[in-house]
Amino acid sequence: MSDNTMKAREIAKKLLQDGTVDLVLGWEKGDEPYVSAPTVIRDASETDRLVVDEYCIHDLAALLTDYRDSHDKIAIFAKGCDSRGIVRMIQDRVITRDRLYIIGLNCSGMKDPNEYARAASGMSKITPAKKATKCQSCQYPNPIIYDEILGELQQPGADNRFAEIEKIENMTPDEKYEFFSRELSKCIRCYACRNACVACNCRTCIFDETKPQWVGRATDTVNNMLYHIVRAMHVAGRCVECGECERACPAGVPLMLLNRKLIKDVDQLFGPYQAGLSLEGDAIPPLSRYRVDDPDEFM
Amino acid sequence: MKVLPSDKIREALNILSGEAEVYVPQMRDDVSGYFIWADNPQVELALDILNTYMSPKNVVLPQTENMYSFSAVGQDANVVEVANPQGQRVIFGIKGCDLKALEALDLAFLTKGYEDEFYKARRQNLAIIARACYTPGPACFCESMGVDRLNPEADVVIHDLGNQSFAWEPKTPKGEELTSKLQGVLVEQDVKLPQAAELKRKIDITGLSEKLAGMFEHPVWDELSSRCMNCGTCTYVCPSCYCFDIQVNTRGEAGNRFRCWDSCMYREYTLMAGGHNPREYKKERFRNRFLHKLQFFNERYGVNLCIGCGRCVILCPNGVNILEVIDKLKEVQVDA
Repeated sequence: MSDNTMKAREIAKKLLQDGTVDLVLGWEKGDEPYVSAPTVIRDASETDRLVVDEYCIHDLAALLTDYRDSHDKIAIFAKGCDSRGIVRMIQDRVITRDRLYIIGLNCSGMKDPNEYARAASGMSKITPAKKATKCQSCQYPNPIIYDEILGELQQPGADNRFAEIEKIENMTPDEKYEFFSRELSKCIRCYACRNACVACNCRTCIFDETKPQWVGRATDTVNNMLYHIVRAMHVAGRCVECGECERACPAGVPLMLLNRKLIKDVDQLFGPYQAGLSLEGDAIPPLSRYRVDDPDEFM
Repeated sequence: MKVLPSDKIREALNILSGEAEVYVPQMRDDVSGYFIWADNPQVELALDILNTYMSPKNVVLPQTENMYSFSAVGQDANVVEVANPQGQRVIFGIKGCDLKALEALDLAFLTKGYEDEFYKARRQNLAIIARACYTPGPACFCESMGVDRLNPEADVVIHDLGNQSFAWEPKTPKGEELTSKLQGVLVEQDVKLPQAAELKRKIDITGLSEKLAGMFEHPVWDELSSRCMNCGTCTYVCPSCYCFDIQVNTRGEAGNRFRCWDSCMYREYTLMAGGHNPREYKKERFRNRFLHKLQFFNERYGVNLCIGCGRCVILCPNGVNILEVIDKLKEVQVDA
């Protein structure tokens, strides 16, 4: 058992025993060595289920929406990316900081359990990466906010986040249309990207609205595009770049291309700005701010 | 025994395509599924993998399917054309698990006094060439769900001899017909069928359906559903989930009604007029899916609605595992 796992169990046990929190959001092992999966623990006697290992890739902050209407105090484990997700949830008023006890994990990158499961399944011929795609370009491996912290401080990797974006920027409009039509035609509209997303925390999602029905339920290129472009625009400036949407996708749609383009644009046009790095008053997303001296001329 | 040699597969599919829509496991833009065969260089056959991530249910229940077109002018509304998807179809290479799922779909769409005409049109002339499964994957548990993976009930059963050559075993008159169509590509050969590997996973679900009948309000559902995030991945990759919604497209005075897959994981699925939702939270939605699979379908049709293909286990982004769910459901105490 790893040092972090042992400490995680001790911390969780103590927090539940002394009543600091009502529940702990962490990970436990599944029935394959490459499976760690989110878990909720409410009983101090069950903290031995907790695990912190190289497969704890899921952004637990996305599960905080389940507790938005409760009074539960929550201990949550958070890697660098997850902590930015927590900032997202707090800034979006899903949860308040005082309801959270954040156990930070300095993170050297995770392996993707789903990628390992797919590789082992016999249903594909992929070789799983030692470090998940979403972790390869991580710029914030250490949690931004936390109440206590586990593990050694980590150095961020090389920042190659926008290499692919620049390639697409250099395409002609027709090439771009063809590229995105092809990629988005794969989508099966399972909404895993939306549901895994910390920025998709609306009580009623626009895509679930029925009056009016903003996006058709037919799975075709037009409606798929409408879905993905609207979603990307909606999380523009709020996406914390955790990469969970792309990881969760069962059809391999390269969703981070859309998100990164908007991250780049928001940074250049309204920034400098990176989402989820601070809880300070002026750190709210540029497109969510109201200012009387807004430079936009149409106002 | 007759053999379909690997270098003749494309030719065989072309011959069959002359008179029918032929659905074959393929890779398309990195997605594996059962798509209509078209012999061009972009098409990559996926017969060298265990199965496809997207199930073959789209053959009989396309994700989006037109039902009829209409015109609506003022107070007048008229049906212009009702879709008729009748035609010859062949599914090539379906596995025993997915075939068992197809049988479950037949029960839902064709029995108990109502026949779904769109489903029936796609289903009634479907010839089935099933692929015996000798090397199951780590997530497979089909045998526990009553699947005969080595001798599926099909018109033809093919057996992978390695190198993607297939022993060809017709089982029905329809299968003999297909055999005679392919006589130019099938060769007579002595074959030794491969040794079947054991399934790694087994689970005993005897009595579970009955037990679940008394577990609707059990607190275990809170715990089991806690990691689920209510996306529809499991339901859409599942070969036996068959729920659909009926929707409409309108452009000015014309439009069409279509049906499309729906998922019990979605809010809209049970949303009532007036805004009430009997399955408001994830526990209710999660519970419904598993009870439909393991209790409700069983009560109505006498079989389970899970066939052990393992797709949901592999693809759930948050690690929900139906085997662990079943284990837990078996384990918990139910008050008498």
